[in-house]
Amino acid sequence: MCAVIERRTAARSARLRAAVVAEWIKVRSLRSLPTALLAAAVFSIGLAVLVCASFHARWDALPAERHRAFDPIDTNLGFLQITPVFFASLGALVITSEYGCGLIRGTFAATPQRGLVIAAKALLVGVIGWIAATAITCAAFLLGQGRLAGAAPHVGLGSPGAARAVLGGGLYLTLAALLGMFVGVLARNTAVAVSGVFAILLVLPTMVDNLPHKFLWRLTVPYLPSNLGLSVWHHGHLPPDLARPGVGVLGLVAWVVAIAALGTVRVRKRDA
Amino acid sequence: MIEARGLTKVYRDTTAVDGLDFRVEPGHVTGFLGPNGAGKSTTMRMILGLDRPTSGSVKVNGREYQGLVWPLHQVGALLDARAVHPGRSAYNHLRSLAAANGIARIRVDEVLETVGLTGVARKRVGGFSLGMSQRLGIAGALLGDPGVLLFDEPVNGLDPDGILWIRTLMRSLAAEGRTVLVSSHLMSEMALTADRLLIIGEGRLLADSAMNELIARHSAGRVEVRAADPLRLADDLRARGGRVEAGADGMLLVMGLGSVRIGEAAAAGGHVLHQLRDVTASLEEAYFRLTEDSVTYRAPVPA
Amino acid sequence: MSASPTFTGSAPRGTRVRATLRSEWIKLWSVRSVPVSLVATAVAMLLGAWLLGAGYQSEWHEMAASERTSFDPTYACLQSANLAQLLIGALGVLTVTGDYETGLIRATFTATPQRGQVLALRAALFATVVLLLGATVSLAAFAVGQSQFTEPVPHATLGQTGVLRAVLGVGLYLMLIAVFGMGLGVLTRSTTLALTALFGILLIVPSVLTMLPGRGAEGILPYLPAVAGSQVLHVVRSGNSLGPWQGTALLALYVATTGAAALVMLRRRDV
Repeated sequence: MCAVIERRTAARSARLRAAVVAEWIKVRSLRSLPTALLAAAVFSIGLAVLVCASFHARWDALPAERHRAFDPIDTNLGFLQITPVFFASLGALVITSEYGCGLIRGTFAATPQRGLVIAAKALLVGVIGWIAATAITCAAFLLGQGRLAGAAPHVGLGSPGAARAVLGGGLYLTLAALLGMFVGVLARNTAVAVSGVFAILLVLPTMVDNLPHKFLWRLTVPYLPSNLGLSVWHHGHLPPDLARPGVGVLGLVAWVVAIAALGTVRVRKRDA
Repeated sequence: MIEARGLTKVYRDTTAVDGLDFRVEPGHVTGFLGPNGAGKSTTMRMILGLDRPTSGSVKVNGREYQGLVWPLHQVGALLDARAVHPGRSAYNHLRSLAAANGIARIRVDEVLETVGLTGVARKRVGGFSLGMSQRLGIAGALLGDPGVLLFDEPVNGLDPDGILWIRTLMRSLAAEGRTVLVSSHLMSEMALTADRLLIIGEGRLLADSAMNELIARHSAGRVEVRAADPLRLADDLRARGGRVEAGADGMLLVMGLGSVRIGEAAAAGGHVLHQLRDVTASLEEAYFRLTEDSVTYRAPVPA
Repeated sequence: MSASPTFTGSAPRGTRVRATLRSEWIKLWSVRSVPVSLVATAVAMLLGAWLLGAGYQSEWHEMAASERTSFDPTYACLQSANLAQLLIGALGVLTVTGDYETGLIRATFTATPQRGQVLALRAALFATVVLLLGATVSLAAFAVGQSQFTEPVPHATLGQTGVLRAVLGVGLYLMLIAVFGMGLGVLTRSTTLALTALFGILLIVPSVLTMLPGRGAEGILPYLPAVAGSQVLHVVRSGNSLGPWQGTALLALYVATTGAAALVMLRRRDV
């Protein structure tokens, strides 16, 4: 009995390994993915450096209240309000590009356990996403602080809260990529998935932000993915009423799991 | 009628079509043959005004395609059967094409009937098999009742019934006096359908002739001979300059001497012949002899 | 040889332009994504107006005095246009790139070799549909939103200065975004690239500029397509933004430039 179960789990893990290897080969041979990741890196690091350099150049001219409100870490990592959209779109494309060209039929024919295919993809998106994201936030931080040095306040990775912000940023980007991937599973269509990702991460938050911070706001707005993400990486005075960092991580994971559950049900039910 | 003069298409550093001159006449099914990458599809796209020639021109009924106001009434084309929006029904796909050329809606029902898709006309094209898509593409080509028809690989994905159907259709379209140009790489199918051939390789015209002429020219005059004493006959034929190979059961395969001269040699030498037969090449053999020097993508021959 | 027979089944009906219009009209409505996205747009606008209206109404007494004076009851109900532009822009992109990615564009241009005419008329049809739908839905959203407001929350009526312009402006803004998306679709011939370009220009560039300190970035901001074009939705004008008609004219200029570039490329390129 135990042996049977053992063999069964062994077979399952072998199948997962095979699925991951297959997906890895596909990802590696996909020419657009490294290009897109590189573009995201250039955009994020470039923006961080540009923002820090601008503060460095204008520091003396800025009014005193801008000086007081200035947080070197948050200013440096401001790109984390935009880059998640790229990561989420990329995650979505990993799925929808296969639907777009009909490759998904081949994929599901090779591995009929559709949940397994999705799991293998999620594993790769998570790992590649985390490595890329953390590399990007670290590089952006180090280069950005370097640009601030000399005129504006600046910090090192060892200063309190800095490492948490940088690693938190990497984690947020990774979860955004996974969120986007499962939105892709749900939508099965590039245009719908990318529009959805922009709506959730960029448009919705700015729209509801103007509402008074009361009952309705408190119940919803802090739990939008972008604001949960903000809780995770933000260092200085957090905008009032947002969730705590721990809640931020849990909330983002809950979003990913919820959309993954919806997506997996749909993948199982629908014809490829 | 389709007429190309010095038709050339250069993409960056590769010449896809290189100075083609040809005429495709009405009343025939003209086969357009060539290995993959020879420039067949590029030529077809230039005929339809989709790609612009780098130099030279191609005209349909004496006009450039780009200048036609109602092109579907003059030219119908099947290019890529899968090139439809998967979410649209067959009926709406054809209706939009018909509307673009002022063709009455009733004609859509007619061509759907002709290709046998009436039953699935309201279904989304995304669910069609390749064969059904092919029929839909053919329906689109027939919409305007045009005098010139282009078919790019029309038998792809069709079942044997479908292949017979399209073969009959193309022959009857030609018999009505229309110009029919069919590209294919399926030699056996071409041999049954076409009566004229246009062969290209590496973008250049290799042959433009009637099917039977082409085959006769490239049969290389092989003759099968059976004789009572094959060894002695072989010596006699070699002495007259023929090349002789031994076939099965004492049969001789003679090249370089026509059947007339073989018969004369046999009479002169007092041979008893059991059989004397000209061997005609198949289209495939003729084609391979013709294109031997111009195959772009030849598979490596195993040693 | 006998005189070759002519094959023209029946004489074409109507003019070239009318035939193209009819064909594009059939194409527009015969895929599900068009009605679905348009209905989704209407739902997003109405739901947004209702939720935001209720939100402001219930928590008006908590708002700071400065927030109350700058409160724009019209814009509060029309804000969902920001969400709707994603749907409409993406649909605009798809009406073009869908043809390119399936290869259908070859059949389209074989039936009508006048490529510029095909795309220009497709844009005109889609723009008209979006304009009418946007204006109608916006009127309804305005009514839904205003019905939530009671004293002391200020309440807008169509008769007030600028209110009708802002409400109908939703249709105008969405129409321009739709054509912008189509133009980018022709230029890139790829859904992914066109969407990235469209959303990048509309959403990312403004966010990037707001992160930069100093007058340079602040000075450019009002002239960006989305920022300029959306001024028509505001009744209360803020800071250094352009006026509603100036802004709309500027967005129209961006769109016209993109459209012109698209038409030139269309003529030059092989399909």
